Amino acid sequence: MSGTYTPNNQEEISQFIYDSYQANKPLEIVTLNSKPIGRSIQCSQTLDLRKNSGVIEYAPEELFIKVKAGTPLIDILEILKSKKQSLGFEPVDLGYLYNGKSNYGSIGGITSCNLSGPRRFKSGALRDHLLGFTAVNGKGECIKSGGTVVKNVTGYDLSKLLAGSYGTLSVLTELIFKVVPEPEYAETFILYDLNPKKAMEAFSVAMKTSLEVSGACYYSKKNTEFLRLNDIDSSKSVTAFRMEGPKKSVQERIVSLTKIFKEIKEKTVLEFYQSNLFWKITANLECFSNSQNLVAKISLPPTETAGFIGQFCEDDIMDINNKYFVDWAGGLVFLEINDKDPSYLILEKIKKFCKEKGSHITIIKANANLRRTGFFVSTSDENIKILAAKIKQSFDPRSILNPGKIYAGI
Amino acid sequence: MSLIMPEPDQLTLDNSESIIADLRKISKNVLSEEEEKAAYETDGLSVHRQRPIAVVLPETAKEVSEILKYCYRNNVKVVPRGAGTGLSGGALPLKDSVLVSLGKFNKILDIDFDNRCVVTQPGVTNLAITGAVQHEGFYYAPDPSSQLACSIGGNISTNAGGVHSLKYGVTTNNVLGIEMVLIDGTIIRLGGKNLDAEGYDLLGIMTGSEGLLAVITEITVRILKKPQSVRAVLIGFNTNNDAGNCVAEIISSGIIPAGMEIMDKPLIIATDNFAKAGYPRDVEILLIVELDGTESEVDTLINRVLEIAKKNKASYNRASESDEERLRFWKGRKAAFTALGVISPDYICMDGSIPRKKLGNVLNEIASLSKKYGLAVANCFHAGDGNLHPLIMFDSNNAKELKKAEAFGADILKYCVKVGGVLTGEHGVGIEKRDLMCEMFNNDDIQQQLSLKKAFDEKSLLNPGKVFPVLHRCAEEGRVHIHKGKTRHPDLPRF
Repeated sequence: MSGTYTPNNQEEISQFIYDSYQANKPLEIVTLNSKPIGRSIQCSQTLDLRKNSGVIEYAPEELFIKVKAGTPLIDILEILKSKKQSLGFEPVDLGYLYNGKSNYGSIGGITSCNLSGPRRFKSGALRDHLLGFTAVNGKGECIKSGGTVVKNVTGYDLSKLLAGSYGTLSVLTELIFKVVPEPEYAETFILYDLNPKKAMEAFSVAMKTSLEVSGACYYSKKNTEFLRLNDIDSSKSVTAFRMEGPKKSVQERIVSLTKIFKEIKEKTVLEFYQSNLFWKITANLECFSNSQNLVAKISLPPTETAGFIGQFCEDDIMDINNKYFVDWAGGLVFLEINDKDPSYLILEKIKKFCKEKGSHITIIKANANLRRTGFFVSTSDENIKILAAKIKQSFDPRSILNPGKIYAGI
Repeated sequence: MSLIMPEPDQLTLDNSESIIADLRKISKNVLSEEEEKAAYETDGLSVHRQRPIAVVLPETAKEVSEILKYCYRNNVKVVPRGAGTGLSGGALPLKDSVLVSLGKFNKILDIDFDNRCVVTQPGVTNLAITGAVQHEGFYYAPDPSSQLACSIGGNISTNAGGVHSLKYGVTTNNVLGIEMVLIDGTIIRLGGKNLDAEGYDLLGIMTGSEGLLAVITEITVRILKKPQSVRAVLIGFNTNNDAGNCVAEIISSGIIPAGMEIMDKPLIIATDNFAKAGYPRDVEILLIVELDGTESEVDTLINRVLEIAKKNKASYNRASESDEERLRFWKGRKAAFTALGVISPDYICMDGSIPRKKLGNVLNEIASLSKKYGLAVANCFHAGDGNLHPLIMFDSNNAKELKKAEAFGADILKYCVKVGGVLTGEHGVGIEKRDLMCEMFNNDDIQQQLSLKKAFDEKSLLNPGKVFPVLHRCAEEGRVHIHKGKTRHPDLPRF
């Protein structure tokens, strides 16, 4: 057995994995090949899930959709849009990052990466919206967990574990997602020309109000040229706050924010259409479109972010000048590291910083060499890795599913 | 009543005295006298009682680690316990176990408004977290009815919900990090003040794991700013179906209320007598809908809800005009369990979740089951998220009635699963619903969960006998999943 196998349904997927388990042959799992993320996998078999596709049940009034995991995400978004609904975690399109053009990939792929957009800090991550699944474990057994209801504590919450497991525990075959009403209206309030420290302070101020900010990001002065929107002055740093909801409520809240930041002179408001464009560009990391460099995301306690930026992103005195932007109201930094230093010493420094601050770095784009030899996600405690290895074994005892994708040797 | 628990280990029972003596070397708070242990022999599911070998109340994570390490080396079972308010028997001791109470972990460690989170020990009550941050207008969102007494550690173990989970999520959506101790004594920190997991989402799997995977010693939760405006509206109906349709239509119209609760007539009367909530007494079913946001947003939404109610033949409505009135609306609902205690000597509280559109069906089915078993029932629902709490009334002095009540409850849960729902929405499986797990899961599903348990606790010493059916149970009931006429792994132990 070698080459690519493209099963038509769950039964065939189960049989293929069962045979691979018996033969002790590892396999790489792909669907639409949209996201070359994680450590690279060296094995002779590829399991291609694209044919396991289609909507199984969509119940708009029950707020859920059940789909086969190989379904293109773009198809799902269109179906939901027809009923004025969407996925609350604001799906991310990483096609721009990898190839310079839109490619959402499959619903199974994005689930395996637990990728969540700018609304994450308010509405939760993808894993918070996954209600249940069916999958095939590393022995070829079909397993399920969860259901179509939002409140469910029957047995372990395996949906959480499988979201973000990068296909290393089981092959997802069916997914049930909670859906939410599309926001009726949105506007974005922008403050110009703040330095990173002031911007992080502004996030903190806004997040301590009851104004229900549903997006808060920061682009430094050197990283705004791609924001080609009529109402944005892209010569200055941009600190943006999104408000969503009924129009009147959004506008009242924008007025409240304007009052809070009355000392700051340069500001503007993006109306509905431009606001939506702005957050799409942000969710899709379009500032790194077709980047040829390493791109990483760093999850931080918001109060540590200004310090992180000073050390690793921009500092005139120390001549640090990496392209970056901040999302999740200060909780997430996306950072591009150019190839000047091929040994990526900076990554070791960032890992050390993360360990000290109880946070972590995930490499989302890297060259082939680094994907083969480097790390993918940093570890704060070796015991977590030991436990991860045991968990991997409990689902995939012969380590045949995407071996080594998250950690070398696991 | 009979409850099959794992066979006690005779060697452990024979060594009880030396185990107690050894534990005293680790902790100064070891309870071994019968009267001392009595307070720990049961939890919120008080029909089952069992005293453990000893109760230990450690004060630090290191102490917890030493205790667990000792038990691991000596093959002694461990049952963790928070405030003991759980309704599914998750903290019921085993005869040959050491009960580890987190009662002395009762301090809030850090209030961090800049990162919008609170770091706390697990024994702190749910409501105390809100109490510690409300002076700045913040609160902790999940609000189970027992929030005055239940501990935040217990909330994580059961993934507790509450009346506001429709909009603000349950515990798992509001926890940022924990410190936990594995059965071999290893202390691990997961997450913290930042979002998302490094590698596997271990925090996600720990939440709702009912004390079977590790003992939690520290917790970081996110806190939210209170909304600008909150109003509630009472809506009365004459039939279950009208109420069910109204709930479904509110949700499908795109409104996400902060809370949406239903009570039936027996509870309307009981709670109104008890709490003087001002409920209408001439309706069959009462809906409470709470909306929050900016003032104009709330006013708009209230009007939309009232229009939908009218369309669905509501016979009564009243919107709160002040916060006092809103709180009075809730006072009755939140006192539902207490109020029922006044009219019935005993009751058991079920906890299924169902698709919202099946609400009318399920209420009708419960009514006919009530006739079949000859036991009265009162219903309250977290209608917005389809989580129902039928309260089955009985008299425990009559042994037959308890058995009947339990069979009635099991029938309700089976019906929930049949209409596409689940066994438990927020109370947990514990021992109460353990033997119904095969209604929802087949053998492969359960074996996978048991394998995961072994990754954390290879000797199955942590809270055994909970959540999963005891040995052979599913197979005996003939529900083992047979794939293509044969079991795939005949060598695996069947439970």
